[in-house]
Amino acid sequence: MKLLKKSLIAVVIMAMLFGLAACAAEKASNSPTPSTTAPEDSPEQQPETITINFFSNLPDRTAGQGLLEQTILDNYMKENPHITIKVEALQDEPYKQKFQSYVASNNLPDIFNVWGQPSFFQAVMEKGYAAELNPDDYKDYGFFEGSTTDFSYNGKLYGLPRNQDMTTVFINKAIFNDNNVKIPTTYNELVNAAKAFRAKGIQPLSINGRDKWILNLFFQDLVIKVSGNQRTIYDASTGKTSFASDPDIRKAAELFKGLVDAGLFQDSFTSADYGAAQNLFLQEQAAMFYMGAWEVGMASNPDNSEHFRQNVALIPFPTVEGGKGKITDVCAWNGGGYAVSASSPVKDEAIKLLNYMMHPDNWPKIGWQQGLVVPGQNYKEYMTGKENVLQVQLTDILNTATSMSGTPWNDFNPGDWKANVENLIQEFAAGITTVDEFLEALDNVVPK
Amino acid sequence: MDRIRRNKLVIFVLVFPGLLVFTFAVLYPIFMSAYYGMTDWKGIGEFNIVGFENYRKVIFEDKIFRTSLLNAAALAFFTVFVQHPVAMFFAIITDKIGGKLESFFRAVFFVPCVISIVVTSKMWVNVLNSNYGLLNKILDAINLGFLKQDWLGHKDIALFSVIFVIMWQGFGYAYLIYYSGIKGIPEELLEAGRIDGANSWQQFSKITFPMLKPVIMVNVSIAITSSLKQMEPIYLMTNGGPGTRTQFVANYLYMQAFSAQKYSYANAIAVVFVIVCLITTVVVQNIFRSRD
Repeated sequence: MKLLKKSLIAVVIMAMLFGLAACAAEKASNSPTPSTTAPEDSPEQQPETITINFFSNLPDRTAGQGLLEQTILDNYMKENPHITIKVEALQDEPYKQKFQSYVASNNLPDIFNVWGQPSFFQAVMEKGYAAELNPDDYKDYGFFEGSTTDFSYNGKLYGLPRNQDMTTVFINKAIFNDNNVKIPTTYNELVNAAKAFRAKGIQPLSINGRDKWILNLFFQDLVIKVSGNQRTIYDASTGKTSFASDPDIRKAAELFKGLVDAGLFQDSFTSADYGAAQNLFLQEQAAMFYMGAWEVGMASNPDNSEHFRQNVALIPFPTVEGGKGKITDVCAWNGGGYAVSASSPVKDEAIKLLNYMMHPDNWPKIGWQQGLVVPGQNYKEYMTGKENVLQVQLTDILNTATSMSGTPWNDFNPGDWKANVENLIQEFAAGITTVDEFLEALDNVVPK
Repeated sequence: MDRIRRNKLVIFVLVFPGLLVFTFAVLYPIFMSAYYGMTDWKGIGEFNIVGFENYRKVIFEDKIFRTSLLNAAALAFFTVFVQHPVAMFFAIITDKIGGKLESFFRAVFFVPCVISIVVTSKMWVNVLNSNYGLLNKILDAINLGFLKQDWLGHKDIALFSVIFVIMWQGFGYAYLIYYSGIKGIPEELLEAGRIDGANSWQQFSKITFPMLKPVIMVNVSIAITSSLKQMEPIYLMTNGGPGTRTQFVANYLYMQAFSAQKYSYANAIAVVFVIVCLITTVVVQNIFRSRD
């Protein structure tokens, strides 16, 4: 009996140990297989093959900037058959989140999208995750003056901007004409337009308030038009002045509230995401759409109705009666761009690819001529006369601009500033906080 | 066999693998979270130890954390006192109907649970949209246009819209648990009641409800803990907005980590959150035990 008991115990233990050992062995035999065979395979069979991992924030590879990016990458692979580019593309917010996990595990892809804004890029440059670029390589690339400032740290260049970004008010001329509403050039006209459209049951202006940052830009536009000084909002953001005590910022906040109360923004604008807000405008259900210049492709996208494409136009952000800002003082910056991972095993190849992409014949030329983007590089010589109406109007505004803001204020400080001020403006827009509460709350989150 | 089961070595060998998995999949991450919660790590580069500063802020200063917990409490309240009575009612009704209709309704009620939360959340976002949403259109069509609302954007209504959708999504599970509880009540008891002249209400209050108590305990515990843990519907529908009116803890800590890049703070929230969940579970269990 004793023997039986002992042998049973032994059998059970053996079985368990064997099971565990089998698991471990399986793991051990599984994991190295790909890593040992892969390097052996690749140098022997295709010694020259190089794979570049490309991390993009443009998931739609069939339209707009995503199409442009993919076209250039395809061209590069055609010209360099030994190079394979693996693209991973996610939308902005998921992109930022995945980017963080790549950074945390020190496993950044070889080339990645960056936003030239302290809130995003500064820490990446500071901690050495981005490879240094040679400014001499880009002497003839025609980058607009100052456009690489936010992609530099301590005098060294770490990234390249791809576009000239600017806030604009897209309008649907047909909706304005059909309803006898004047296209607004001033704040009061904007309020009147809002009321006129509301009276006819039309949504005046579509905005993606769920995404919050767009509300920050709108507020910045108001501050610029009230104060006439691009520094006003940055001085408050850095604690040199205060939001609550600056009369221009207070005035802008009151005007902002006035627009919300007048019903300028579409119903449920605080819960509308980018796609929903844009659709409202594309379906001609809203008279205006507040967005960045990167949407100029709307006028040439065949997916949009002929009627829409014929009637879409854009206007600069209206001035404010009694305000010091001119119509030519604009909220414009260089946002998106690219950088190369400092720890990339194919760093030199990745930089070569980056240089190819941003070469004047590629991103700026193809992007401009196909009506996909407003490049951050000089594109005058690529004008064909066939530009869509939005491109022409935008170029006019940019060419006549008397001042440009630079990095939007919500991206101006590193750390949690962005999350804080974006929450605060959405609360304010939703009527949860008053002007006083909003401005005081902003002062409270200014980095000390 | 009995002796083998009592042998300490066998017990150890049998328990050890599970314990190992539990240690590395649950205890270790919590321990690491607690550790990172004591740093100022921003997800990039080096970090410093800052002691219990993050925890102090979460517990004593963070209004959004408090709002998130209150929202979870509101959800738990509505789940227990609105969703569950309705689920129980329908469970009893379907049980009474019998036949093919019974299985039909059983399937209908459970359908929302089978569909992905992403799909149902996005569907409700569209239904509740105040511009083109079905709900406002229906209200218009039946001359109740004055009831139209900005269901997900209004500061006072958004939370209730979100709670409604989450209750709708979870209805099938609550219903199914009650339904199986009711199916488990011996028919003889109800029959005896009927013979003794008990009416429907008496049958429910004297037989069905008392017999369902263990099921109610399980169901309510699940409801409360799942209310605390809500994340996907919030992220997909409002992302906590407008402002922070519909914020829930899991979504808040996710935003703190990945939008605000405050990894250390998000870890502190996570640890406090685990403690809150544990305390809640223990309290709920104790309440039921003392009632028993």
